[in-house]
Amino acid sequence: MALLPTVVKSPYYMHLVIMTCDNIMLGLSFSLLYSTGLLTMAAGAFWGIGAYTSALLVMKAGLSFWIALPLSGMCSVLIALGTGAVITRIPGIAFLIQTMVISLIIPEVVGYSEFLGGWGGLLGIPGPSPIGPLRFVGKAPYYYLVVVLLMLNVLAFAALYSSRVGRAWRSIRVNAQLAETLGINLYRFRLLAFVISSAAAGLAGSFYAHYFQALEPGMFTAFKSINVQIFAILGGLNYYVVGPAVGAAIMTFVPELLRVGKEIEPVITGAVLILLVIFLPGGVLSLPERLGSFSWGLMRRTKSDGAPAKPGLYKGD
Amino acid sequence: MVVQLLVNGLSIGMIYVLVASGLILLLGVVRIFNFAHGEYYMLGAFITYGMCQLLNVNFFLSIAIAMVAVSVLGIFSYRLIFQHMRGDILLCTGASIGLSMMLQRGALLGFGTQQRGLHPPVSGRLAVGPVGLPSEKVVAIVLCIAIMIGLYVLLMRTKVGKAMRAVKVDNEVASLQGINTNRIYLIVFTMGCALAAMAGGIIAPVFSVTPTMGNVILLKCLMVLMVGGMESMIGGVIGGVVVGLITSFGTFYLGALSEVLLFAIIGVILVFKPGGLFGEAH
Repeated sequence: MALLPTVVKSPYYMHLVIMTCDNIMLGLSFSLLYSTGLLTMAAGAFWGIGAYTSALLVMKAGLSFWIALPLSGMCSVLIALGTGAVITRIPGIAFLIQTMVISLIIPEVVGYSEFLGGWGGLLGIPGPSPIGPLRFVGKAPYYYLVVVLLMLNVLAFAALYSSRVGRAWRSIRVNAQLAETLGINLYRFRLLAFVISSAAAGLAGSFYAHYFQALEPGMFTAFKSINVQIFAILGGLNYYVVGPAVGAAIMTFVPELLRVGKEIEPVITGAVLILLVIFLPGGVLSLPERLGSFSWGLMRRTKSDGAPAKPGLYKGD
Repeated sequence: MVVQLLVNGLSIGMIYVLVASGLILLLGVVRIFNFAHGEYYMLGAFITYGMCQLLNVNFFLSIAIAMVAVSVLGIFSYRLIFQHMRGDILLCTGASIGLSMMLQRGALLGFGTQQRGLHPPVSGRLAVGPVGLPSEKVVAIVLCIAIMIGLYVLLMRTKVGKAMRAVKVDNEVASLQGINTNRIYLIVFTMGCALAAMAGGIIAPVFSVTPTMGNVILLKCLMVLMVGGMESMIGGVIGGVVVGLITSFGTFYLGALSEVLLFAIIGVILVFKPGGLFGEAH
């Protein structure tokens, strides 16, 4: 991975790789919440919050990017704490709707606020200041930066998943009532998951602001959050780390390489999403397993009962 | 002025009630959530516009045609897509968002971005005392109230309505009692689509008809569900009227800040009643 910029010379493909890494961070934040049985539509909104916080801190307060990056994560955390304290109390469809409303409000608020740049957005956001000999010119330094961020993100999430907290989250997803009788405080663990996932989304947004160097409210509408959800579903929801990575890579590269027109793109994305949900609800990563069980079933001429029971996501309990 | 704002708020609020009650029925009985519901509303408005403006069909007949056409689309989308994912909120969300993207972009490509307006079926102002009220809004309010009363009678007084309520309480026990649950699901889904199409038809003379009008109504309906709760129809009615009135009065007195006021009020309601005003608190 470290040698990639020496192999890939085209800035266009480097851009796609960098965008994939940024999108993977968003997908990871979605699947972190999914690991507790919550479905969020607000990943894009917190991405936007992180991006705007970081950009404004650098442009208006004159801070360095290296200070603004953690601060933008903190800002996402604070907003997630405030909103999450209210909305994580009822899981299931109510949580989904409330996060959807958040992701619809945030771009509106930014658009109407002159201080935040309005509908025109922010232009000319400075890149990160150089550290030592490393100057942020061209694509390669940004690539290393985003890979480092992504690795930290993956390591932190993997550590969480294998810790007490991660086990508590999974137990909530499998059976919330049972988890509660075992002494797990559902509200606190759900809130914790919401805050951590928002922080990750905020950091991804902060990187994007200084990489792309321009922001506008249209970049983090509900459409962004929907895309993040598609990453996770496409890759496979039961693969918390690899799933979003595969999904984000496919969703970033395939539309660009196919060069479908921007007008027709939502129609194709929508059709793919419907077909995926109907025929491959386990995601791309479940494909080998399904093919395997299919051929195995043909050989044994018995009906496979391999499908794991779905957790009751409807009411969240 | 207060009376006019009241009529404005009530007319738009009753539209929210029509669309949101379809969503509440779907959530309660069929146990799915449909993000494409706003697109049925948009298609209803377009079909009404096309019938009424281009083919010179009577306004009320156009609404009926729109309802039938959108219901057929609803039956197809239920049979092809939503039937497979009842009770699984994740799959529903994915599939309905996909459907919404397809329908909306399809309408945008087919009909273009220009705004269309329909001549009101009844124009002029209705004089009530010293104030004159726009009669198309009064017509909209009366129509919506009539439909909601009809829906109430259907749910409470007829056999189908009783079956729907039984399926809502427990679908397995209901099917043990000899209720064809699959038929009930289909009927409820179709009803929701017809209600959305009707709301779109009623709104066509009041607001402009655009391919993206479904987004706006969906956002408002989500707010209605947050205010009123997702369990009961009465919550939908109260929530719709509250959101409509806040929008109407807020826009007049506060301008663009009215959205902020709406969110603040919803936030306060959620702090004290996490499930909405009429929702069950877990």
